[in-house]
Amino acid sequence: MSDRTVTTTVLTQVAARILLIPIFVVAIGIMIKGYVDIGDGFSAGVIASLGVALQVMVFGPEELTRLPVIQRAPKGTFLGLLIALLTAFVPAVRGQPLMTHWPPAGEAAIHFGTVEFITAVAFDVGVFLVVFGFGVGVTATLARAQERKSSMAGLFSRPGDAGEAGERS
Amino acid sequence: MIVLPLGILWFGAVLLAILDGTRTKNALLAIGLLASALLATIWLGFDIVANGPRSMVIGGWEQGVGITLSVDTLGIIFATLSLTVLLAALVFETANRVRARVFPALVLFMGVGLTGLFFTGDVFNFYVFFEIAMISAYVLASYGETPRQFRAAFLFIVVNLLGSMLFLISIAAIYHITGRLDMAGIAAQIPLVAESPVLLIATLIFVAFSTKLGLFPFHFWLAPVYTGTRPSVAAILSGALANIGSYGLLRFGADLLPRELADGAPVLIVLGTVSIIYGAVQSVSRHSPSEVLAYSAIGQVGYIMIALAIGGEVGFFAVILYAVINGLNKGLLFLTVGLRGWLVGASFVVGAFSVAGVPPAAGFLGKISIFWAAIEDDAWSIVFLVFLGSALSFLYMFQLYQRRFWIAREDEVESSRLPQVIVTALAIGLLIVGLWPEPLLDITDHAVSGLLDSPAVGVSP
Repeated sequence: MSDRTVTTTVLTQVAARILLIPIFVVAIGIMIKGYVDIGDGFSAGVIASLGVALQVMVFGPEELTRLPVIQRAPKGTFLGLLIALLTAFVPAVRGQPLMTHWPPAGEAAIHFGTVEFITAVAFDVGVFLVVFGFGVGVTATLARAQERKSSMAGLFSRPGDAGEAGERS
Repeated sequence: MIVLPLGILWFGAVLLAILDGTRTKNALLAIGLLASALLATIWLGFDIVANGPRSMVIGGWEQGVGITLSVDTLGIIFATLSLTVLLAALVFETANRVRARVFPALVLFMGVGLTGLFFTGDVFNFYVFFEIAMISAYVLASYGETPRQFRAAFLFIVVNLLGSMLFLISIAAIYHITGRLDMAGIAAQIPLVAESPVLLIATLIFVAFSTKLGLFPFHFWLAPVYTGTRPSVAAILSGALANIGSYGLLRFGADLLPRELADGAPVLIVLGTVSIIYGAVQSVSRHSPSEVLAYSAIGQVGYIMIALAIGGEVGFFAVILYAVINGLNKGLLFLTVGLRGWLVGASFVVGAFSVAGVPPAAGFLGKISIFWAAIEDDAWSIVFLVFLGSALSFLYMFQLYQRRFWIAREDEVESSRLPQVIVTALAIGLLIVGLWPEPLLDITDHAVSGLLDSPAVGVSP
């Protein structure tokens, strides 16, 4: 942290910490209520990854390694894509059109509180994982690039020196 | 059954994205998956030729509400062609050692995009698959990861994003005018709409697909990109990805907007003519093999445009035949760039004969079909133009042959045998198509009658 210019105040840091959990809760809420109200896995993924981006902006890229969930999110992209593809293609194996959901409209679904378990939710969980993983991955890449740039700032002082000319040829 | 090729490719692509593609084992797995998707496509093709087009509305929704997947003979031809070129490029790169862990996965993702857009009956879904293929192409263009490849990739991305943007705008405009996104619905609505707004949309679509193809005024990106990328990627871009352009022009022009296509025919003829002459003259003046091939690609697109402008049964027949053979030619010739050895030399000659339209190579069929279309149309100037273009292509291909394979250089090292064998297999394929063309001609004929009979795919239940 020493070579980074610290621009955040205690107020921002506290706000960022306090907001992290509510952001995740809102994201999950949006993902689940998508079937009765506005919302879906895509917007939930965007909101959740913005929550992570906020932490990285305030506390630096080390934040990404602190929570195992966030650390593994980029790999979760593949899991999410697999879940989404399975909900799309499994009906095709059963002789139905792609993306036919189960249970069908009008039939009773298993409830957990007010949440209904239908395959459409599984699809959205997959989409959520894809978007969240992508968002976290992009944040991590940008944060690392920024870090590298600031740590290398002393090494390459001026443009147009030997290192740069070598790269151009 | 209709989703089998897509399913294999999609699950395979996700699986390979996790695995390390530089390992031969994983690259072989990718080859196996791509080959089985190709076989599934051919199997689907037999069924469609026998029983007519198939379609499926995703999620069991009503026609016109849900997204339609529909496959007809035209889609099958282009899917088979693209998957064949992708497979050849992937096998070639595996034989040469894959250098990036994502390469096999990206080739499969491009397969998903291409197969998907050839198999869809919905214009927005077409755009989605189009972007899947394009995004894979953007990453593939930087494959090799030297500054040269990054420069090529950057140019490719900027120009093609512009093309995609135009296409997206025209889809929005189609939806605004017709209120439909399914191709069957659009084809039914378009004749009821005033012509002038549709003509604007048709122009935008034409520009978008011509940019993909590299037709004359939109060709500026093509030569630096094809010369900057690695040979296998150049083969993929020009043999597989460029098919989006010819398929898109046929599907949107001949199938959805036939009235606008007929109106624009004079423009297509002018642009096609300029493209043929410009491509041929530039090719004659170039020395590096990939540059000659890149400019030759610009010229070849001109023939497709002229055939499209002539239209009707013979015209569309020539478009499909020419696009298929041109894809195979380009796939073969770009792979020979950078290889040495007598097998490669012989394969190059086959490819060169095919580009120039000399029998028994398959290119002869493409040229003769365009001659035929021009004669039917009484367009003698086009007959002369095609003859001139062929003569010039004969000249530049053999200039290249002379410089590359005739003069033995001291520092030359013969390439390893396996890549040579792959290129030879493609060349033999071109010869077989040239010597025994009946299956290709029959299926092309079937596709044309499908294109002219039904207003659009997806009408049949």
